[in-house]
Order: sequence, then C-alpha cells, then structure tokens
Amino acid sequence: MDNFIRNSLILLVVCTAVMCVAAYAGYVSGAGMEGTDGIVEEHAASTGGFEAVEIVPNVGAYGDMGEYVGFTLAGIIAGFIFGYFWIDIKEGGQRA
Amino acid sequence: MHISDGILSTQWCIVWYAVALVFVALGIREIKRRIEETPSYMPLLALMGAAIFVIAVWHIPVPVTGSCSHPIGTPMSAIIVGPFATVVLSAIALIFHAFLAHGGITTLGANTVSMGIVGTFTGYGTYVLLRKVNLSVWLAAGMAGFIGDILCYLTTAMELALSINPGSVLYHWGLYSLGFVPTQLPLAVAEFIFTAAIVKYIADTRPDIIAKLGGAIDG
Repeated sequence: MDNFIRNSLILLVVCTAVMCVAAYAGYVSGAGMEGTDGIVEEHAASTGGFEAVEIVPNVGAYGDMGEYVGFTLAGIIAGFIFGYFWIDIKEGGQRA
Repeated sequence: MHISDGILSTQWCIVWYAVALVFVALGIREIKRRIEETPSYMPLLALMGAAIFVIAVWHIPVPVTGSCSHPIGTPMSAIIVGPFATVVLSAIALIFHAFLAHGGITTLGANTVSMGIVGTFTGYGTYVLLRKVNLSVWLAAGMAGFIGDILCYLTTAMELALSINPGSVLYHWGLYSLGFVPTQLPLAVAEFIFTAAIVKYIADTRPDIIAKLGGAIDG
C-alpha cells in the first residue's frame, strides 16, 4: 500500500466520520430546519398555482428503514463494482 | 436546487430535457472515448459519481437562516474527470436523488441543467481561467467550487422564474435567488474548502492519475 492509497483511505474514514457527526448534529440541532429547495420551490409554486406531486416512490416514505436498506444495498453494489476495478485503479493497468 | 415534479410547466420540462440530453449525449461519447484509451477511467468515474450523489444530497443545516441546503460537488468532479463526463454523472446521481425525495423525474432535465451543466462548466471554466493567470491550484479549484455552487442555484432560480412567472422573470429570478443565496453562501464556502483540498491533494500526490485521464489538474 503506497502513501497515496493509505492517505486516501485515512481521508475516506475521516470524511465519513465527519459526515456522520455532522448528520447527527444536524439531526439533533437542525430538526425542523426545512431545506431551502423546498421553501423556495413551494413559494414559487404558490405564485403560479403549481403544486409539487410525487411521481417516483420515495424510499424515505417507508420510514428510516427505507433509507437504511436503500443506502446499504447501494453501498454493497457500489462496493462490489469498485472492488472489482480496484486493481485497475491501483496498478493503472488492464485486468488480466 | 432540486426542483420537484409538478413545479415546472410541461413546456419547460421538455426544453430543459432537450438541453440536458445534448450534453448527456456528448458526455457519453466522451466517456466511451476515454474508457477505450484508459480503462482505469471507469472506476474513477464511478468514484466521482458516488461523490456527487452523496455531496449533493447531504443537507447541512445553516442555523443563521434556520434552513438547510447542500453543496453540489460537480465543479470538483469536472476538474478531475472532465466536464462532459460530469454531466452524465450528475444526471445519474439526480435519478437516484429522486428516490430520496430530492428532485423529480419530469424535472430531471432542469436539475441536470442547473447542477450538471451550469455548475459543472462554470466551475471548470473558472478553474481553467484562473490557472491560466497563474493562480495556485488550491485557490483556482476553491473558486471553481464556490462559483459553480452559487451559479447552480441562480440557474435554479431562473428555471423557476421562467416557468412559473413568465411575465416578470427578472423580478422573480431575483426574488428566488434571494431565497436561495443566504443559506447557500456558507455552503459555497464549504464547497470552496473541500474542492480546494481534494484537488490540491490529488495534484500534489498523484498528478499522473489525472494527467493520464485527461482532467484539468496540471500540478
């Protein structure tokens, strides 16, 4: 493992930790803080008589579990794909 | 900048889809060409796609304004894997965002234009321009992140104004921009910091990766 890979992995762990802490802090302190996307969009829509509709199923609608399962599945699939190509990244060459 | 389904008129949804499709087609062609030249381009592309997906869905509270918003990540991706490929990555990330109640399918074109095209190309253009006047890599990359982020939101405001208030576009563009910018400014600063840090780190440690892949980092 060269320095670049080691430092990248450390950075990845640090970033993930920061995101987790920030997400938790946001959850605790920012509960009830609405996204500006929604605020501006709702205001804009109200001036023109439009209304947001839900066409695609929202995994969050199935409760926290929906997001956990969704992200876990995405992580597993992405991990397998990324792991498969890891040698190409590390060595920069073609897979045998 | 995620606009939900039902907010934009059908005509504007079609217009934004048409604009986005042109860039996505060019991006797919670019990706195919680069993968043929360098197979290791694909996993880096996947990594950037994952990064855009997470960064652009990660709502960060801004206590001063009492609301939350997110960075976009496309300027960083554009510098590393190229702007046209980043448009494709943005479109894919935005499809997944729709399943997390961020944006929609009918508004995918509009969201791709704001985040994937304007955010990407203004960020990339800023970086290239500032490097040409010999600004340091981190400063040029940081400014790319900042400007790409803000212009992405100004574009969303314009999309809303064009579709919903065609009789007073400029007034409502300003109004919606004023709604976005106070919360977005601190996040644009965050975008400055992580874009500068990541690009500088790669430029310092492994510029060969980007040089080989045809990115804009020039050490």
